[in-house]
Amino acid sequence: MTAVYVHGIGMTKFGSFEDKSLKDLLIEASREALKDADHPKIDAIFVGNFMGGTLSNQEILGAIVAHDLGLGYIPTAKLEGACASGGIALRQGVLSILSGEYENVLVVGAEKMKHASTATVTQFINTAMDQSTTEKEAGLTFPGFFGTVANRYMFETGAKKEHLAKVALKNRENAINNPLAQFQKPTSIDEIINARMVTDPLGLFDCSPITDGAAAVVLSSKPSSIKVRASAQSSGPTLMQDAVDLLSLPAVKISGEKAYEKAGLGPKDIDVVEIHDCFSMTEILSIEELGFFQKLEGWKAVEEGKTRVDGEIPVNTSGGLLSKGHPIGATGIAQIYQLVRQLRGNAPNQLAKQPKIALAQNLGGTGAYSVVHILERV
Amino acid sequence: MKVYECCGIESVTKKVFCSSCGKEIVNETEVPDEGIVYSFTVIQVPPAQFAHLAPYTVALVQLKNSNAKITARILENVEIGDQVSLDSIVDGAYVFKKVNTNEAVY
Repeated sequence: MTAVYVHGIGMTKFGSFEDKSLKDLLIEASREALKDADHPKIDAIFVGNFMGGTLSNQEILGAIVAHDLGLGYIPTAKLEGACASGGIALRQGVLSILSGEYENVLVVGAEKMKHASTATVTQFINTAMDQSTTEKEAGLTFPGFFGTVANRYMFETGAKKEHLAKVALKNRENAINNPLAQFQKPTSIDEIINARMVTDPLGLFDCSPITDGAAAVVLSSKPSSIKVRASAQSSGPTLMQDAVDLLSLPAVKISGEKAYEKAGLGPKDIDVVEIHDCFSMTEILSIEELGFFQKLEGWKAVEEGKTRVDGEIPVNTSGGLLSKGHPIGATGIAQIYQLVRQLRGNAPNQLAKQPKIALAQNLGGTGAYSVVHILERV
Repeated sequence: MKVYECCGIESVTKKVFCSSCGKEIVNETEVPDEGIVYSFTVIQVPPAQFAHLAPYTVALVQLKNSNAKITARILENVEIGDQVSLDSIVDGAYVFKKVNTNEAVY
């Protein structure tokens, strides 16, 4: 039976790059991944991107990447699923190899956001919510959804703003050791708690930043030292008012369960995790939904340091979206970049015991999409 | 306001099919335009469209006599559990106001 392996990875520095276009970022990450894979003949390209059309006035990214890399007239496609665009592109790459259609595939994700104002970016990010509803007209924003979730979570569990801050602090401490991360300046619990409020109770450090960047992987049916054990996806509610349980992200739970089932593994078998921490609150919910901790107890695990690099289940050793940065279309692929390095044994914040099984979870919208991949060192 | 129901799942969104039984959703009921604040946030960083309103409160309101909830803008600061009722519909947005629960005393 066909299996899929990772042959190459590439990633740009995440941050603010005035002099680089969306295309420049895509090409830079792709080139590095192709070099890392020792330049196989690529049969197809899948691109993850969310706002190329609105913020850079640029579509046809797949064909542009094929053309500018000089890979020939191969088939390409762009995949969009808001912040899960990268993970969805990766999954389509995996499925295309599993189908037997292609042998070698390039998957690249990128976003170029820093040149636009925060109000403009916030407006376009809102396209990840259903725009033809009274909910949107009420003025709910994307961060506002997670602020509303956080207030209810604190109300029900007794968690405090300090626990949200501990997620942000952990991820910042990890990013300090990651030269590709956007934020490497040390911070403190006090600075995080007292930072400017974005959407009550979430402050500046609780929210992932606006970022430029790209990441790429080369996949193949030929064996390598990193095998894709599972690829799974789910959708979830597209409106806050339709969430059956506001403190649950069904897409995360279902995509996780499907991935565990495909891999024949469970949460206890996972050595290292990259989770979609678009907000500090989201990391807490998702460590619960993926079965690492009991429902409504994720905040206690954070308090006890269980998700730190030296904890029982290290989460976001890259610095996560909160501090590594969140160039939307790149994020799902940048998670794979960090995990492959962990499995290879040369990551920033490398675990003391070289991990064997790694899990990446990429979220889109306010829980509208979730993609989970499980990788294994073989 | 109208609430749509099938298999015990109630929503203000009119979906075509019931995700539980797969049948077309036909049950509509009218519920009071009031409820309690299930949760809320105060939006300090608004999208361009709502910049003139910031900071403003958005709440998820648990509707009375229903499992359904609705996302609404609230005119005042609120806490979880506060009673609210519909004030107006502005540009397609449900705008709720806090019910002064002391009023009954007078």
